[in-house]
Amino acid sequence: MDGSTEVVALVGVGILLTALYLQSESFVDPMIGGIALQSLLLALLLGWLAWSEKSLDLLVLAALTVIIRALVIPYVLRRQIRAFRWRLREIHAANRVTGHALAAVAAAIIAWFVFQQTFASGFPEVGAALPFVLLVQGLLMLATRSNTLVQVIGYLEEENAIVYAGALYAHAFPLFVETVVFLDVLGVVLVGVILSIQRDVTGTPEESALEELSG
Amino acid sequence: MNDALDTLWLFLLLVAPAASAVLALVPYPAVGRDAARIGSLVALAAALGLLVEGASGRWGEYLGLDSLSEVFLVMVTSIYATSAWYSDGYLRAVHRPFLTPQIYYALLHAFAFAMIATLVVSDLGLMWIGIEATTVASALLIVLERKPTSVEAAWRYTLIASAGLTIALFALLLIYATTGTLDAFALAAAPPAVTLPIEMAVALALVGYGTKVGLFPMHSWLPDAHSEAPSPISALFSGVLLPTALYTFARVYAILPRPAPAAITDLLILFGLTSAFVGAFLLQRQRSFKRLFAYSSMEVMGIAVVGLALGGVALYGALVLLVAHAFAKSAAFYCSGNVLRGTGTNRIDEVRDLRHRMPRTSGAWILAAFAVTGAPPFGTFLGELLIVVGALAAGWYDVALLLALVILIAFLGVNSQIGRMVFGEPTAAPGPAHPGAEDGAWIAFVNVGVALVIGVAALPYLSGALGAAARILGGSTP
Repeated sequence: MDGSTEVVALVGVGILLTALYLQSESFVDPMIGGIALQSLLLALLLGWLAWSEKSLDLLVLAALTVIIRALVIPYVLRRQIRAFRWRLREIHAANRVTGHALAAVAAAIIAWFVFQQTFASGFPEVGAALPFVLLVQGLLMLATRSNTLVQVIGYLEEENAIVYAGALYAHAFPLFVETVVFLDVLGVVLVGVILSIQRDVTGTPEESALEELSG
Repeated sequence: MNDALDTLWLFLLLVAPAASAVLALVPYPAVGRDAARIGSLVALAAALGLLVEGASGRWGEYLGLDSLSEVFLVMVTSIYATSAWYSDGYLRAVHRPFLTPQIYYALLHAFAFAMIATLVVSDLGLMWIGIEATTVASALLIVLERKPTSVEAAWRYTLIASAGLTIALFALLLIYATTGTLDAFALAAAPPAVTLPIEMAVALALVGYGTKVGLFPMHSWLPDAHSEAPSPISALFSGVLLPTALYTFARVYAILPRPAPAAITDLLILFGLTSAFVGAFLLQRQRSFKRLFAYSSMEVMGIAVVGLALGGVALYGALVLLVAHAFAKSAAFYCSGNVLRGTGTNRIDEVRDLRHRMPRTSGAWILAAFAVTGAPPFGTFLGELLIVVGALAAGWYDVALLLALVILIAFLGVNSQIGRMVFGEPTAAPGPAHPGAEDGAWIAFVNVGVALVIGVAALPYLSGALGAAARILGGSTP
């Protein structure tokens, strides 16, 4: 393993560790810090790949990752916490931290195994399975959390997984930068617009399992 | 190749909704309303022009049309036009709306534009952007009526649909990494070798786009969004958004050589049948009539996915089903909007004796309910019949039997509930329906009429366009 692949693998493991940390946390503020750190690590990886491959697209993606997902969206999320007058801890997740952590580890192992069994022949890059594992972690967070602020963090993690995958094995993907910009726009709409409407109308970031929506 | 007239139709198709969106923001409501009506009709005329011309080919690197996209364009622009016409009366009845009429119309056009754009591009990545754009444009429309349930529905819709679409994007990354291109037309013309990564990418695309199609188990946004959105938007969701998402998956599916690998066919049939059964069973226990129709859409999409998987005449049937269902289901939602305005409730148990209270709406509602559940001679009947016949012809007897069963369950469930509301005796003397609540009933009658015409004309008159569209995906004309 040469120096470059060592850097890619090392940062990739760091990204995976942040994903596992996010699953085992129930306080929202540290989670926002966690996703910002994950985004910074991803930006570091993108910057390294941009430098080693002389790719302007990857450099733009690194800049976008820092600006939007490490700075702007975490900042807006923290403002939302204050605006909601929220006590910073998820109601439902607080008692399930151990379960979430175990589920996250199990999901990571299964995702790794599935990737190795199916895609590995076509994607021999070191750590090629990590974006897929990260995608599954983001999905798991979306599926298991009922706090809308935390669900946004799950969405950001999914977006990080997509950027990670694109950078690792498809960075010539046409319109990739534009696609990521589009995902960022959706992220901003989520945190800036719909969360604000939710605050005005319901006053809580917790999904209230409204009875009318069941049945 | 493309002649000047085709280019003009394509130009109008894209410009009409975009220009209407700009005009909608003019601070005179009448301008926005009229722009919506005229702009949507221009888009419909352009789509019909392209279909009649049989336009096919490429416009530059990223725009492209064939029979399949043209059939879907006519479907989308038709429901766009009827929803634009229906919206005016509906908006007047909304108390304290969250969006001004200007913003509502601008978002409506943006939503339609995103669907149209999805259908006129030839690149799988741009199709993905188009589908994701439909989420951005339509999410805010759901909260028009400013209810906590609407906000929660909008949130779930945005989050779940986007989560699904990131899986679809992951699938596209894998396809690009394997094939080096995302040109849907080129990939369909020269399919890549079937390898495990390609099969897995198509399977991931099914899960990703299937979320937006409303396939089980990723369907949970669908009943909430369809029931909480204003009725003209529910009509667009059920009638054309779900089929547009299915179209996008079909373009990914088309990169596989025909016959498709058995594992993918089996997966599609499994997802399709499961979704159809879950939708058919869940609609039996609904308390809201809009949710009833939402689950009915899930059932129909499941059946259409089975038709796509079976190929041959079943695929032709799936196209007939989707087109007829678009008209029938939009009519059902327009009637639902009228009933909601007329009675002030969406609860099935609180609505009775509609035949006397809202005679025109209830007449259209009964017909629309029959149409969405595949009663003869509506186009949905022909479509579902062809899918069952296709299953039998391909030797899938068990699938044919299950399809017949699920169609029967959904038919009984929807029509018994609608029948109770239209013909049921009231427990207390109901007040008169809200004046003006029947205003849009004629639009529902028009759409049900089109669903009927499709049933009568699909084989003798429409087989050229629908057959050519089916053949692109490996289907055949009966």
